[in-house]
Amino acid sequence: MAKTVGIDLGTTNSVVAVMEGGRPKVITSKEGRNTIPSVVDPEKRIVGDVAKRQMIIKPQEVIFSVKRLMGHKFDDKVVAQEQKWLPYKIVKEKDNRIGIKINDKTYTPEEISAMILKKAKEDAEDYLGDKVEKAVITVPAYFDDAQRQATKQAGEIAGLEVLRIINEPTASALAYGLDKKNLHNIAVYDFGGGTFDVTILEVGEGVFEVKATRGDTHLGGDDFDQEIIQFLVDEFKKENTIDLSKDPQALQRLKEAAEKAKVELSTSVETEINLPFITVKEGNPLHFVKKLSRAKVESLTEELIKRSFGPVAECLKDSKIDKKDIDEVILVGGMTRMPKIREEVKAFFGKEPNKSVNPDEAVALGAAIQAGIIEGDVKDVVLLDVTPLTLGVETLGSVMTPLIERNTSVPTAKSETFSTAADNQTQVDIHILQGERPMAKDNKSLGRFILEGIPPSPRGVPQVEVTFDIDASGILDVTAKDKATGKSQTIKITGSSGLNKEEIEKMKEDAEKNAETDKEEKEKIEVRNHADTMIYTAEKSLKDVGDKAPKDIKEDVETKIKELKDILEKGSREDIESKTKALSESLQKIGEIAYKQQAEEDAKKAKEEKSEKTDDSDKKDDKKVEEGEVVEE
Amino acid sequence: MAAKKEPLKKIQEELRVTNDKYLRALADYQNLEKRIEQTITDAHVRTKSHVILQFLEVLDDLEKAEIFVKDEGLKMIKDKLIRIFVELGVKEMDLFGTEYDPHLAEAVEILPGADDNIISEIVRKGYLIGDKVLRPAQVKVSKKTN
Repeated sequence: MAKTVGIDLGTTNSVVAVMEGGRPKVITSKEGRNTIPSVVDPEKRIVGDVAKRQMIIKPQEVIFSVKRLMGHKFDDKVVAQEQKWLPYKIVKEKDNRIGIKINDKTYTPEEISAMILKKAKEDAEDYLGDKVEKAVITVPAYFDDAQRQATKQAGEIAGLEVLRIINEPTASALAYGLDKKNLHNIAVYDFGGGTFDVTILEVGEGVFEVKATRGDTHLGGDDFDQEIIQFLVDEFKKENTIDLSKDPQALQRLKEAAEKAKVELSTSVETEINLPFITVKEGNPLHFVKKLSRAKVESLTEELIKRSFGPVAECLKDSKIDKKDIDEVILVGGMTRMPKIREEVKAFFGKEPNKSVNPDEAVALGAAIQAGIIEGDVKDVVLLDVTPLTLGVETLGSVMTPLIERNTSVPTAKSETFSTAADNQTQVDIHILQGERPMAKDNKSLGRFILEGIPPSPRGVPQVEVTFDIDASGILDVTAKDKATGKSQTIKITGSSGLNKEEIEKMKEDAEKNAETDKEEKEKIEVRNHADTMIYTAEKSLKDVGDKAPKDIKEDVETKIKELKDILEKGSREDIESKTKALSESLQKIGEIAYKQQAEEDAKKAKEEKSEKTDDSDKKDDKKVEEGEVVEE
Repeated sequence: MAAKKEPLKKIQEELRVTNDKYLRALADYQNLEKRIEQTITDAHVRTKSHVILQFLEVLDDLEKAEIFVKDEGLKMIKDKLIRIFVELGVKEMDLFGTEYDPHLAEAVEILPGADDNIISEIVRKGYLIGDKVLRPAQVKVSKKTN
C-alpha cells in the first residue's frame, strides 16, 4: 500500500517523515542525512546538499530561500526587501506574478519548491521501497491563503496529492503529543536556521486553533554563526594583524569550525578551535588556536536571543492570553538546543519548556502524524496490547522474580526453571505476582498453586519449569512442570489486566518512591540467601568428608556454621556478610582435603572432575536454576 | 441444511480473515527483520564514516604542515595514517583538471582560466568510501576569460 508522508518544507532545510508501526519516523535522505537543504539547481534538477555545493560558482543559478517568495505578488513590499539580498534574479511576470530567471528560462517559486518536494518524495520512496503519492505539507502559521495555495500547487507539481496543508506549530504540538493531553494553551517557540516564529495555540477536543503568531523572518542560527566567526576574525586580527575574512579559504575553515563549536557548546561548557596553518605571514605559517567558552558565545549572541523575545511578548499580547495561563511551552528548531535559549524561554514563561522531541524533526513528525490520522492508518494496524506491570513469581526469601517485564507486547510466553530450597522437598508453591517492587509482599498477588509429587532429592537438584503465557486478551496461564516426572499444574488468571489506570499508575509510582528502601531490603535478603546456601554447603561438605578431615578443622567449621545460623534471621547485613565470609574461608580447608582425597584416587579421573568443578560452571548452574519458595508442611 | 450452511460460511470467512491477518503479521515481522539487518549495516557504515571523517581533518593538517616542515618523520606519520585509511576502504578522489561535478566536490572559489568549469585547484581533498562519497572535495573552479 502506498504510504502518505509528512513534509516540513522549510526556508533553509526540509524534512520528510512517515508513520511506521504507528509511530512517526524521519526518513534519511540519499545523502544519509535527516534534513534536506532547501537549495535547488533548477537547470540540472539537483536538490539539497549537492546543489548547495555550487552556490559560490553559480550564485544566480542556484536557488535558496524560495519559501520567502511563495504566494507573493511581484509588487509586494516583502519581495522588494528580499530581492535586495537574494543573489538570483527575480522578475515580474504576467499578472504581477513572480518569476525566477535563470539564463534564458524562468521558473515560478512553486516550481522550485516542487523540486524540493520531489526530492523528498523520491528519498521517501527509496527508503520505503514503495510509491509515495500523498502528503501533508506544513506552512508557517502566518501564511495567508495565497501562500498556502502556492504550497499546495508545489506539491501537485511534484506529483503529490496534498491531503492537507497544516500549520508548523500545530504539527509540532502533534509531535509532542499535546492533542491527547488535557491542555488548553500552548506556546510554540520555533528558532530555526533562518527564521524565528512564535505561536500561541488553543486546543479544544483535539483541534488546534492559532490564537496569535509572530516572528522575525531574518533571525536564525546563521546569525549566531556569523557572530562567532566575526569574533574569531577579530581576535586573530588583534594578535596577528591579519584579516582572515579577506582570505576565502581561511574563512571557509573558520565558518566550519564556528558551526561545530556552536553545536559542541550546547552540551559542553568549553571547546577548542584548532586550525593549524590557517594562513601565512612573511613566509611563516600561522595557526589558529583558541578556547571558546559557552559563556563567551552567550555574550556574543545575547542581542540575537533578546531579539526573539520582542515577538514573543507581542504574540502573547495579541493572543489576549495571560502568561500564567500558558499550560505548556514547546521548543522547535535546532537553535533551541542552546542552553541559554532554553533558560531565557523558561525565565520568560516561568515554566520549564518541554524539549522531549528532537527540535529539528518535530514539524515533520507532526505532519506525518496528521497524515496518519487522515489516512486512518491506525485502523489497519493491529494494536497490540502491552502488559502494564511486571509479572513474576515469589522465590526464596520472599523475593519477586520477574518473568514477563512490563511493556511487553502480548500475546507472549516465557519460561524459567526453578528448583527447591530444601532437601527432600516434594512440593513447590507457585505464587504469582504483579508489580514493580522487588519484594513479594509489596506486589499484588494474582494467585497461587502447589505442584506436588516431586521425587525427594537434595535441594537445588529438581528442575521445575514455570511458564507464563498471556494471550491477546490478557488472560494469563501459569504452568509449573517438574522436568523429571513430567508432572504439571496450571492456573488460569483472568484478572491480570483487571487493574484500572489509576491503580497501575499508583503501583508504578510506589515502585519509584520506594526504589531505595526496596533495594536495600532485597540486598539484605540476597545476603541472607547466600548465607543460607553457604550453611547448607558447609553441612554437606562436613558429611561428605567424614572423618578424613582433622578434628580441629571440622570443629572450626561447625562453630562458624553455628555463629552464622544464630544471626541469620535478625543480624545486620554486615554481620551476616562477614560471618558468611568467615565460614567460606574455613570451608576452603575442607575443600582442599576433599580435593586431595580425589587426587589420590585416579589421576585421570581427577583431571576430568577438576574441569567440571571450575568456578565458572558452578556459577552458570546457579543462574539457570533459581531456588523456589519452599512450603514446609 | 441451509440453516447449517450459514454459520459454516461465516466461520470460513472468519478463518480467511484471520489467516490473512496472521500472514500479514508474519510478513510484517519478516520485513522488520530485513529492515533491522539493513539498519544495522547502515548504522555500521555511518558510524565508521563519522569516525573517519574526524580523523581526515588530522590528515588535512598534516598535509598543510608538510608544506612548511620538511621532515622525514612527519612524512612517515602521514603515510601511516593514509595506509590505515586505505585499509578501511577510503580512497582519495583525483579531481584535478577534471570537469567540476557537484556530486563530488564543493566549489569554494572561481578562478579565471582557459576553459569553463574545470577544477583548477584542490583546496581540501575529497574521499570516497567504497563507491560512495565520504567527504566531497573543496575546489576552485575555472571560468573562461576573454
